[in-house]
Amino acid sequence: MADAANADILRVEGVHKSYGVGRAVELEVLHGIDFALKRGEFAALIGPSGGGKSTLLNVIGLLDRPQSGRILIDGRDTRELDDTALTRLRGRAIGFVFQYHYLLPEFTALENVMMPALAARGWPDGEMRQAAAELLDKVGLTPWRDHRANDISGGQQQRVAVARALVMQPVLVLADEPTGNLDTKAADGVFELMRSVNETTQTTFLIVTHDPRLAQRCDRIIELVDGCIVSDRPNANVVRRG
Amino acid sequence: MNRFTPFEWIAAFRFMREGMMQTLLIVVGVGLGVGVIVFMSALLSGLQANIIRRTLNYQAPIEILPPDRVARPLRADDTAQIASLVQPRSQRLWPIDQWQKVRAQAERLPDVVAVTPIVSGPGFALRGDANKSVTITGIEQESYFNVIALAEKIVAGHYNLGPSDIIIGIELAADLGANLGDKVRISTASGASVTLSVIGIFDFGNKGVNERNIYVSLRTAQNLLDLVGGVSSMLVKVQDPFAAETIAQAIRAETAQQVDSWIKTNAQFFTAIAAQKLSNTLIRFFVGLTAALGIASVLVVSVVQKSGEIGILRAMGTSREQVLRLFLIQGGFMGLAGSVLGSALGFAFLMVWRGVARNADGTPMFIVVIEPQLFIIAAAGATLVGILAAMAPAVRASRLDPVDAIRG
Repeated sequence: MADAANADILRVEGVHKSYGVGRAVELEVLHGIDFALKRGEFAALIGPSGGGKSTLLNVIGLLDRPQSGRILIDGRDTRELDDTALTRLRGRAIGFVFQYHYLLPEFTALENVMMPALAARGWPDGEMRQAAAELLDKVGLTPWRDHRANDISGGQQQRVAVARALVMQPVLVLADEPTGNLDTKAADGVFELMRSVNETTQTTFLIVTHDPRLAQRCDRIIELVDGCIVSDRPNANVVRRG
Repeated sequence: MNRFTPFEWIAAFRFMREGMMQTLLIVVGVGLGVGVIVFMSALLSGLQANIIRRTLNYQAPIEILPPDRVARPLRADDTAQIASLVQPRSQRLWPIDQWQKVRAQAERLPDVVAVTPIVSGPGFALRGDANKSVTITGIEQESYFNVIALAEKIVAGHYNLGPSDIIIGIELAADLGANLGDKVRISTASGASVTLSVIGIFDFGNKGVNERNIYVSLRTAQNLLDLVGGVSSMLVKVQDPFAAETIAQAIRAETAQQVDSWIKTNAQFFTAIAAQKLSNTLIRFFVGLTAALGIASVLVVSVVQKSGEIGILRAMGTSREQVLRLFLIQGGFMGLAGSVLGSALGFAFLMVWRGVARNADGTPMFIVVIEPQLFIIAAAGATLVGILAAMAPAVRASRLDPVDAIRG
């Protein structure tokens, strides 16, 4: 059990990523990234703009492939997986929260939360509806569950996006500037929500942020500059509240 | 969300509902196109059927004739040719050799409905000072009426021909000043003549036929045209008039006689029909293309508008195939909904047309046949066009790179 608790949920080994491969101008964005995240870690990925944070997140999220190196998700090497298998693994094991919520405006908050499970299983069922309702309750949006995605506030939309990222009970949640579009109060609310989920479910979080205030509230801070990890340290002085 | 509805169907219908105005406009557009196709197809089918029906009233689909007589030059041996010029033989009226046997052979063939022997040749109809050139047709009454709808075209009198009876056309009756019960003298170039009583007057709706054709009993015609016991040709009715040429070839192979189909003898008419069909097909094609482009443009816009959502769906584990189906369903539905609307519009146009397009006497200008299969074909065709039109935007959506789509 102890081994399982300490198992690496994410392992990134020697990852190189370039754009414009085979063209006149080739740009290497990631220069051999190595790090790992254990179950229940709550880590911040910080660094200046253009340093490769989003690219690294896309590679880790199996949305993009590296030129070399390997990504292991929950112990599974993703190098040999084809597009279909990657899509399946991504849907099952990884949750995404982006700067913009990308909720489907045609659906209600509850249906948006159900969406990953619906896409995976093909048909709606009572179980996924129940799971989505519980998550919406957890993010404090039960009264808005039947509201269309466009009919709720920005902070609420981002909370729905967090609930949606959790519906498949992923082992890893990747959040790219999840509070970037929110005011301070809403940003705090969303951040606290993720923190609370992390503490109660031991879901691993990797959060890209420019906001040092939020980074200081994470257990670990990884700094990426010009495609290289320049520091990776535990945050001894975790600030529990903004 | 209905628990029995697959994910792609749910998402497709929500996308369309969200863009209700776009969806409605394209469905109305497709509907108008399908309406035009349904209306024109029914109209042209009715027009063609009408012309064909009228032509086949007085002409059999197939006619069996004795083979043409050919001149055979004398030769000393197989290679030597004695005459340098061989004149073709004149074709006098000639009977079909062993016509009963030929008739039985033709009747045995599948698709042949009825065979009737006739004796037909030129003659003159005389009454008082009037002298008209006519085509004498001797008929075997029982079988002839199974092939040619003469009985239905009798406008005065009856059609039970005896040896001294004659049925004439309405125009000839007017030219000769003859009425029912009047005597008309029929003579031929060989000098044979007979006086017959008019027992019936027909109207085929064709002046030439009404003026020239006269009907007498088979035996009377045999005596007049010097073909005692023989027949000059046989008329054949078939199940499908459009298969007449194929059946004619089969009869030719079976009987070794000369066999003509109405398709061959009315080549110009069929050329006109083919041209009409081609123009109809072109109109259908361009209307279909317009509808397809409309559907495709709406979906292309939708893909662009929803690229972010598509990206996030892909990131959440939606497969490329699911995204592809999501857009194909939208295209298919727009086509199907448009075809339902279009069928209703086409039906309404036809009803209005049927009421408006009338001859001076109040009869319909032509019969419009509304066939249920036309609507089924229109629905299936429009759905298929919708799916095909959606293919390009659907493929584009399914190939969207989630990273690019989310980044916008």
